[in-house]
Amino acid sequence: MPPRPVVPPAVHDSLVLEPRDVRFDWSQLPLHWIPDEPMATHTVNVLHLLLPEGERWFVEVFKDALPLITDDQLREEVLGFIGQEAIHAEAHQEVLDHLLGQGLDPRPYVRQVTWLFRRVLGKRPGLTPAQQRENLIERVAFVAAIEHFTAFLGNWALNSPGLDRAKADPTMLDLLRWHGAEEVEHRSVAFDLMVHLDPGYLRRLRGMLVSGPTLIHLWIRGVRFLLAADPSLNGSVRPTWREAQRIARRGLLPEPSRMARSALRYFRPGYHPTQEGSSSQALSYLAGSPAARAAAAG
Amino acid sequence: MDLEALPPDLYGRPQPDGFLRRMTAFAEWYDPMMGRPGLRRSPRRPGPRPTPPLQLVVTVHRSVAEDVVELRLADPGGSPLPAWQPGARIELTLPSGLVRHYSLCGDPADRSNYRIAVRHLPEGGGGSAEIHDRLHPGVRLTARRPRNGFAFCAEPAVLLLAGGIGITPLLPMARQAQHLGLDWRLVHVGRSAESMPFTEELRALDPSRVEFLTELTPAAELLARAPRGAAVYCCGPAPMLAAVQQAYDPAVTRALHFERFGAAPILNGQPFTVQLGEDGAQLTVPADRSALDVLREVRPGLPYSCHQGFCGTCKVGLISGTPVHRDRRLTEEDRAAGAFLPCVSRAAEGETLVLEV
Repeated sequence: MPPRPVVPPAVHDSLVLEPRDVRFDWSQLPLHWIPDEPMATHTVNVLHLLLPEGERWFVEVFKDALPLITDDQLREEVLGFIGQEAIHAEAHQEVLDHLLGQGLDPRPYVRQVTWLFRRVLGKRPGLTPAQQRENLIERVAFVAAIEHFTAFLGNWALNSPGLDRAKADPTMLDLLRWHGAEEVEHRSVAFDLMVHLDPGYLRRLRGMLVSGPTLIHLWIRGVRFLLAADPSLNGSVRPTWREAQRIARRGLLPEPSRMARSALRYFRPGYHPTQEGSSSQALSYLAGSPAARAAAAG
Repeated sequence: MDLEALPPDLYGRPQPDGFLRRMTAFAEWYDPMMGRPGLRRSPRRPGPRPTPPLQLVVTVHRSVAEDVVELRLADPGGSPLPAWQPGARIELTLPSGLVRHYSLCGDPADRSNYRIAVRHLPEGGGGSAEIHDRLHPGVRLTARRPRNGFAFCAEPAVLLLAGGIGITPLLPMARQAQHLGLDWRLVHVGRSAESMPFTEELRALDPSRVEFLTELTPAAELLARAPRGAAVYCCGPAPMLAAVQQAYDPAVTRALHFERFGAAPILNGQPFTVQLGEDGAQLTVPADRSALDVLREVRPGLPYSCHQGFCGTCKVGLISGTPVHRDRRLTEEDRAAGAFLPCVSRAAEGETLVLEV
């Protein structure tokens, strides 16, 4: 069942953030977990390619930023964020390992993602301490912009009855909605940290201008790669915008135009992540998520 | 992984990947620019500042049930207090220096004061005794802003299950549920009618929706009071929470909310010693505290998150000593390579663990 909407979509102040332990069993996951929809399946599967390395990088950046934080409550929120991201990375890693077991070798793409997060976005040697500090804040701004997308996608996952109608695999749906709900739950943390370290508008602007197009490009590359690497397709499915729009109309992916409008909202001077998505809906889902309950019950 | 040579092309073509080459060159140009004026954090802006603690004064101290007092805390100048939502709690620093957390049980719409209710615990650490005996009207104390680890999501149907003084966060939830016209029930279990505060206030909301029990009732019977498809909110002593967790049936109810406190009590712990690096100081870890707690006293910047040994955030390197691993995160290879999670893992009595911190 998709999570039903709840009233009211209240803004919750000052949520205590803690990671949740989760258990997933992937042994029954079919290669095309949205039946007969290889492109939709692989468009979502790009998450499993990007997130393990990406979220490990978030964790490293935020751990490095801890000594710069002077507010106790923000520090606690950042620590909760770090734990949640660490669990997300491992949960997606399990799916990645499962893909290899099904004959889809994701390693060429993962090798590139690893290079990107560790070498291109890793710590650069030879910089002055002031430059290092500025680069750290710049990376926090990249994360804040990416977290705008993850909150958008998380909110979409929580409100995507199309995936249920298409009989998508229930364990994968729980992974997407658990992860999506935690992204909605902690959607303000990276932005608040960025503003804490540098309230300047230019920093926010650069964060989105650099990471937004890069993320979209990585995603498109990932879809193309997975469709080509899928042993059951023999290269017969090619990703096209027409196909993407058909899938979005079926409710299996967010509408690209809605996503673009959401990205533009990030540039509004009065933007704050709490304006997107509903904490109530996210927390309500998390209190019933089978994976979170399986771990809570031991 | 090799971080010296560009990874190969995605489709096996004999050339380095163009996109990655451009990204790498971009970063080499971009990163060193970050210290420049106009790009760096403006030095004219003041640095980040911590949020100051709240200064509060006790305005009301009255008994509301056997061994339970209600306190109202207000701003000394009468200013409105920071907003909160049902389920929020507040951290108080008592005049003695003890730090305690209490759920707010007043009306969130009333910003003139915070209301808490405290049961006297003779076996506690002295916080409840201090509140009962010494926090009379006029006494001042400091607090941190309310935080919420038990947010009320206002699902269409809810069951609120309270055990003892666990009624405090659920009372504002019941009030909000009534206000929003939700299909709600509240069951409060206590050891006697005299020990249960706020019964009249709850009955005044809607007498047909509240129930007070003074006999031990199996968790399944408590949960059976839920409207179909309801979300359950439970707050009470640990055995009650565990019983409700066990009896919870996702086929009948849609969600189970409970307050999340992080660290679980330490079972079968023994005192041991941690040493900060090869030549560093030695610290004793008592049987009832975690190594992480002890380390954080001298290394406040140490990262941590779940307190329960599953997220791996607090991982440190072990230089020598024989650990007793209690985490669920590290693999055998991680452990063989010297990884150690001080939030839950320990050592045998008298052992010294030398850690890379």
